[in-house]
Amino acid sequence: MADIGTIVIVTLYFLAMLGIGIWASKKIKNTEDYLVAGRQLGFWVFVLLMIGTVCSGMSLLGVSGLGYKAGWPTIWEQIFVPLSIGVCVIFFGVKLHNVARTSGYVTVQDYLAHRYESPTALRSLAAVAGIIVSLIYLVGQYTAIAIVLIWIFQVPLWLALVIATLVTMAYTAIGGLYAVAWASLIQAIILIVGVLIMAPLIIWYAGGFTHVNEFIGTINPNLVMPWNPSGAFAFPYIFSFAILLGLGLACAPHVINNVLAIKDVKYFKWAPLVAFLLYGAVMFLLKFSGFAGLVMVKEGVFTLPTVANAQDFVILYGIQNAMPILALWAVFAVIVLAAVMSTTDRLMLTIGAMVSWDLYKKVLKPNADDKHVLLLSKIVVVLSAIVTMVLSINPPEMLAILIWMGIGTMLATFAVPLLAGLYWRGATRQGALASMSLGLVFALVFGFLNYFKVKALGIDFATIPLHFSFYAFVISIVAMIVVSLATQKTSEKVLNETQTGWFISKQ
Amino acid sequence: MAHVIRNKMLGLPNITVYAVSGVVVIIILALLYWGLTFRGHD
Repeated sequence: MADIGTIVIVTLYFLAMLGIGIWASKKIKNTEDYLVAGRQLGFWVFVLLMIGTVCSGMSLLGVSGLGYKAGWPTIWEQIFVPLSIGVCVIFFGVKLHNVARTSGYVTVQDYLAHRYESPTALRSLAAVAGIIVSLIYLVGQYTAIAIVLIWIFQVPLWLALVIATLVTMAYTAIGGLYAVAWASLIQAIILIVGVLIMAPLIIWYAGGFTHVNEFIGTINPNLVMPWNPSGAFAFPYIFSFAILLGLGLACAPHVINNVLAIKDVKYFKWAPLVAFLLYGAVMFLLKFSGFAGLVMVKEGVFTLPTVANAQDFVILYGIQNAMPILALWAVFAVIVLAAVMSTTDRLMLTIGAMVSWDLYKKVLKPNADDKHVLLLSKIVVVLSAIVTMVLSINPPEMLAILIWMGIGTMLATFAVPLLAGLYWRGATRQGALASMSLGLVFALVFGFLNYFKVKALGIDFATIPLHFSFYAFVISIVAMIVVSLATQKTSEKVLNETQTGWFISKQ
Repeated sequence: MAHVIRNKMLGLPNITVYAVSGVVVIIILALLYWGLTFRGHD
């Protein structure tokens, strides 16, 4: 389908992103400008940056793909993911922002190092854990970009990955968070407007909302129920899913670092509701598009390609049939690319920050000058893109599973040290180290056993009733409580400096 | 299996409509409350 009009539209989009990168690069004078945009983000740039960061490759391809495969029991994903922005702002953002104003945090690891009086051990562990989970998550993003480019340009996977990597890498490396934030503003507007126009067309083409629901109910009655009777998306699983998405995404380093870049704390007042309504509407429409795609496949309107992750193509084929105009397909491809790239760029920048700021500047070479730290950030952005591109050569069978694995690891690793640090004065350095390291290790082990459907110690990890990350999350909580109670408390001075206590904001 | 009453307007069982819309309304009210009560300074 790669006609000249399509190539022009997609190329224009890529050039616009590079233009933003070049413009943003002129605003960067130091590392703080590069990593936290000089703490100058306004309300709408912040809200759309948060939506763009949370809205990933899964949001368009994986969400509709999962809707196609499992129906209404998966709808909770469309509630908990938009809610994660509010959870991040309310439970982490307000306090972190307030403390960061006086302490000058650039990354969330700065906070952990300060709060737990652990400038080396916990900072390094948090940075390494952040890099691992971000890389897992990035592989999912590049897979999504490749799906779109293969569909639109009919090019081999490796070439699709190279194109995607070069463009995203270029504007992120030169423009830092200024470029990422302004690119996300454009990308989120494209995404929201595009989905609000195009998804109803797919649903209408499949016969309308009521017809789609009635039809999928005849295929399998469980597809229109709010949860499955057992197994995945049964009630207990949905409970763990709420924790996974609502809290796991909220505490992910690439999401939480955004709260450090906002200009004024008053923007936190309405950001949670505005983000939930805007992004929730988009996510609901995408899920319904997946249901509509199932109807179209069953009615013989189109057939999905014979590849392992066929369901992830459903929205692309749906739009192709609902709107038989080539130029509109290209516009839709740009929408998907916008959604994916808005997360990918933020993840690469976060990895750059963790290596250059947390590991190099704060641990390995404290005397390093700002110029070298800035240069290293840019080099790491480039390297992380190349490493992820290589890891993405063999795409996973289902995009959603890989991305949840990344979020699950973030949940088990970061949620407890952050929440306990912010709200419990009894949480100690040793408790945080135990909680973070055990959470990370068990999330990776349980994730591996679940993904490869291993049976061990009498447990079939393919059919465990809760999402695997929940078990690792519980281990992380227990480790924090037990070890903290047995070790020496953080000094009162630091607890007061970091505003630790059972409150969100001193009003 | 229990008898399921269909909501004719949406083509869905009532339990699906009530469960999903109930959770969405509760979240919106909670975020609205946050917006109305948060004073925006420390």
